[in-house]
Amino acid sequence: MFKSTTYNFSRTVPGQAALFLRNYYIYFVLIAVIAFLSLANLDRFELFERGNFLYEKNIINILRVSAPILVLAGAFTLLMVSGYIDLSVGSTMGLSAVIYAMLAINGVSFWAAFSITAVCGALLGAFNGLLVVRFKITPVIATLITLSLFKGIALLLVQDGVSAIKSMGDLRMPQWFNDYGREGVLMGLPMAFWVAVGVTVVLIVLQNRSLLGKYAAATGGNPTAAKLSGINTSMIVFVLYAIVGMSAALAGIARASFMSLGDPLSGDGMELTAILVVLIGGTAFSGGEGKVLRSFIGALIIMTLTLGMLTLVPAYYQTLVIGAVLLGAAASNHFISRKDHAS
Amino acid sequence: MANQHQSPALSVEGLIKDYPGVRAVDDVSFSIESSTVHCLVGENGAGKSTLIKMLTGALQPTQGVMKVNGVAYQPNSTQDARESGIATLFQELHVVDELSVLENLTLGMEQSRFGFVIHSDLEDRVIQTLATIEPSINPSARVSSLSVAQKQIIEIARAASSGANVIIMDEPTAALSEREVERLFTVIRRLREQQVTVVYISHKLDEILTLGDVVTVLRDGKHIVTKPLSEVAGRSELIDMMIGRSLIQNYTPRTAVTNEVVLSAKGLSNSLLKNVSFDINKGEIVGFYGLVGAGKTEIARALFGADKVSGSIVFKGQPVGNTPKQAIAAGIALVPEERRTQGLFTNLTIRENIPVMNIRRMSDNGVFRSSDELTAAVNYVEKLGIATNSIEKHTEKLSGGNQQKVVLAKCLFSDADLLLLDEPTRGVDVGAKTEIYDIIKNLADEGNSVALFSTELEEVLGICDRIFLLYCGSLKSVIINGPNLDSTDILNVVTGGNKGVTQ
Repeated sequence: MFKSTTYNFSRTVPGQAALFLRNYYIYFVLIAVIAFLSLANLDRFELFERGNFLYEKNIINILRVSAPILVLAGAFTLLMVSGYIDLSVGSTMGLSAVIYAMLAINGVSFWAAFSITAVCGALLGAFNGLLVVRFKITPVIATLITLSLFKGIALLLVQDGVSAIKSMGDLRMPQWFNDYGREGVLMGLPMAFWVAVGVTVVLIVLQNRSLLGKYAAATGGNPTAAKLSGINTSMIVFVLYAIVGMSAALAGIARASFMSLGDPLSGDGMELTAILVVLIGGTAFSGGEGKVLRSFIGALIIMTLTLGMLTLVPAYYQTLVIGAVLLGAAASNHFISRKDHAS
Repeated sequence: MANQHQSPALSVEGLIKDYPGVRAVDDVSFSIESSTVHCLVGENGAGKSTLIKMLTGALQPTQGVMKVNGVAYQPNSTQDARESGIATLFQELHVVDELSVLENLTLGMEQSRFGFVIHSDLEDRVIQTLATIEPSINPSARVSSLSVAQKQIIEIARAASSGANVIIMDEPTAALSEREVERLFTVIRRLREQQVTVVYISHKLDEILTLGDVVTVLRDGKHIVTKPLSEVAGRSELIDMMIGRSLIQNYTPRTAVTNEVVLSAKGLSNSLLKNVSFDINKGEIVGFYGLVGAGKTEIARALFGADKVSGSIVFKGQPVGNTPKQAIAAGIALVPEERRTQGLFTNLTIRENIPVMNIRRMSDNGVFRSSDELTAAVNYVEKLGIATNSIEKHTEKLSGGNQQKVVLAKCLFSDADLLLLDEPTRGVDVGAKTEIYDIIKNLADEGNSVALFSTELEEVLGICDRIFLLYCGSLKSVIINGPNLDSTDILNVVTGGNKGVTQ
């Protein structure tokens, strides 16, 4: 007698070209978007300097506006790599913007306001983490709850018939409040952008070199294997939620500064932007895979496209065009990974 | 093997585990000597899994003592077990596809400073362990690029390099091809040379006879025997000990076979299949036998309309449509290869599973008649002998054999005239196998046709009237079952030999 046998789906090793495409396609997409916008006629709106899209002021402008999503994308990527999601980031942003503005308008110094808001964001994120890992609420539901909860708190804080915390009567926003997101400090770019770069660099190092990064990938890739390897996956997820919360707070600060007000609704829709950015960067929804840097580039693509489109087509086409581009990106990504996984 | 001066690597004394109403493990005592391959056999429900769960800390014994190297041992988690030197290889693979081989091997054991991974001799050590047991795997490769067998070896290497003295392997060959099984056996033998004790659990008795040093037999939660395999007289004695009776699988010619062609397939071709043509008669049990990748599952799925295929399939005089829905409507049902993922709704009860293929016929204007469902469930549980205390039991809680019977019931209830059974007895214990064979025979005797797709020769020779031999997507030969079949000839054909079977 002989043994029974069963199927063995051994995967083919991806070819060099497929690997290259998978690792670098995002840069080609960015270059393609910029090239397209540069070639198009861009002298219709005052947002851009006339003639050339790749003009210094245009670039600076795009990067200034992008600061919130750039600062959030990295942490959001790590969370999605671990197989979890946070839909409350927009509300965390709004609440943080309100807290930051209230501190600023009441004469607290920049560093104190900045630190307090960041810590508040981390606590809000930790609360999400608690709901998910301690009370075992499905991430989507838990963070939908806090989306509502955090926004409610932000609206309460502002109340009294105004829509946002801003300079009114005797209460003036300090100069640093506006400068943070607007005034160039290095290469013409404001503090908010450099903070985003700094956060991204830290997260890239964390992802590639730290236990947190490795364990996040393990948790998302195979939670059982991670647990059996003695990894406290709950702790990893909790910490990641806190980091996302803190990043959302930094995004709120950047947005508040750029808009010169603390608007409770300033982060609305951010969760979708964040998901899009991370997906376009190639992070799988199922977890395990994804790179912080690629999401950063993904954010640049989305923002370049959004702002570039303003000059080409009426605003109401924007969302449709972005959707179409995303569809193209998703399709090509699918095509590449299918080649890779063909059995 | 048994060294009197050394305490056994692992031993249990008077171990008892009670579940509400059931004693799953009943006063089991035996010892596992160091540096041996100790096999654990028993039918499903014999208490193997419960015993293993206690050894690995997933369950706590109701009573009794476990010892590791003579020292009392009370694990509360897999982690505890691992720290005591006992690692487990579960049926499902526990590797992280997205990480590299090296990252997987060191996962959870990394040396770090301030939370950052630092280089350590651990990496060199695991690389060396891997090289000792399987030099062909590149430590920097991504695990997703490896085969199932290689992933398994990664898990073994991880267990070995974490300093495990005992590695428990639960059905490790379930997803491996024959050549990979050989490689795994080589790895296991190397482990034994390095003083590692392997506890090996498998339904495949041949593997146990090939690989094992000592065997422990469990039956109905009780310890039957522990003895060296050199003292076991072949698989029939093992089976006797496991089920307490001999298993007779000799084929007897059946009278219900007719010459009326029910299904006729001509020139089936796709990426694997090459011009496959055959007929299936009413009342007949035909077998499709071939090694892995020979195309048996592809044929089954093509007949069922689950995969696209060129060529023609005529069923009861009508061309078969190309979707499962049309196939079911025409009277074809498929019991798929992967019971848990393709055949059962594991989160539903037995009652809810059985009418799934047939709900349309059980409804009045879209409103479901639940009384029919209840009757059907009760009937089939009785008819097929599904061992359960309630039809409201979730199917995930049933044993493999009983799960398979639920899948069978689901297909039978769809009133199919042709049943396609893809590996119907995989992961099913010997007793339940016989029962499933009886069900198949009864069906065919009632005038239905059955196509059995199997990689077990014993199985097709046991019940099929005609057997189609497959090799690399081609139908090489047809044999009519009967006495004096030469299995060497059959093997020759399915492994690509030129000489055909003459009968």
